[in-house]
Amino acid sequence: MTELERDLLALRIEWPETPDVASRLELRPRRRLLLPALVLAAIVAVAAAFAVPQSRSAILRFFHLRGVTVEHVGSLPPAGERPLAAGLGVEVDDAQARMVLGGPFLPPAHGTLFERNGIVSTLLRGPLLLSEFGAPEFLKKFATSNVEWVKVAPDVQGLWIAGAPHVVFFPDASPRLAGNVLVFATDTRTFRLEGRGLTKADALAEAREILGTTAR
Amino acid sequence: MRAVEGRPLEERELVRRARRGDERAFEELVRMHQETAFRVAYLIAGSEAEDAVQEGVLKAWRALRRFRPDAPFRPWLLRIVANEARNRRRSTGRRAALALRAEREDVSGGAAPSPETAVVAADERTRLLEAVDALPDDSRLALACRYLLELDEAETAAALGVRRGTVKSRVSRALDRLRESYD
Repeated sequence: MTELERDLLALRIEWPETPDVASRLELRPRRRLLLPALVLAAIVAVAAAFAVPQSRSAILRFFHLRGVTVEHVGSLPPAGERPLAAGLGVEVDDAQARMVLGGPFLPPAHGTLFERNGIVSTLLRGPLLLSEFGAPEFLKKFATSNVEWVKVAPDVQGLWIAGAPHVVFFPDASPRLAGNVLVFATDTRTFRLEGRGLTKADALAEAREILGTTAR
Repeated sequence: MRAVEGRPLEERELVRRARRGDERAFEELVRMHQETAFRVAYLIAGSEAEDAVQEGVLKAWRALRRFRPDAPFRPWLLRIVANEARNRRRSTGRRAALALRAEREDVSGGAAPSPETAVVAADERTRLLEAVDALPDDSRLALACRYLLELDEAETAAALGVRRGTVKSRVSRALDRLRESYD
């Protein structure tokens, strides 16, 4: 622990008095409201399902790859279009990226890194957006375009999503439209490579370069 | 007596009862953690803190069936309260105006200051606190949770609504910024 950290811990703050919330809780009246609320929610849900039956049948297929779920759907949810470089978070150095990811960012030679909610990103030539994250169960995508499994390296599977924009939900961010994307995963890391005009061949070559491996 | 992952047995029992609808048990759980919850909300939403805690606690009560009974209760409650505080801050459009002050020497009733307190002179404490307060929100909240409230990483992650890895990098970055402005 540094001296600065010790100084911070030694600070004694004069906080405002804590209100006794526990003694003022009104749980019973709130709970009585719960049943009608649940009934209403159920009615709304059933009505919605009948109103747009295609929305339920339109989920054509699910794809799961480590932290990513792709739902192949008939129509996309609403989403905005934003530049690749928007909302990447704050700039971080290699050591900070390593802490977030549990290992070094790949490829070792890279440009400026940014971090947001556990996702570390950089822009590559193209421009392409490369994002990496260590934690599983992270991204959700909706696609009407083609989704196919690809083999990036002998032990590395990927999902290639292309043909039309799809919608990606990053944690704690509003959904946005995304271009062609290759998502691939090792045992400990999920990678996402995105670019408007990205071709499958270029994406696979780039992925293999990132991993420092060769084809097949 | 400790039970699962450092969690007091009493708390586990209170959670079990509260999940079965025991309002007194839930009130006791809230009482155990309301000071920390209020201070987290105060850091985020300033004068809206009390309302945020009140509403957050009610949401926690309604969501209690979804709480994993073997998980620690405090991070879960802090996450809900902090979310509510962030929503209130967004809706009012007001930045939390922190009015943290270094505790006066005589607050402890004239007793000798602790060794940690003695390390930092009064004016230095005030200057350090002002430097923390002047940091960007992300940095200020990360440092306040970790060092002023002494929350652990999981609790800080819950309060900030981020992952634990992000807490590490955010705290590291905040300390760098603070060092630059304070030294």
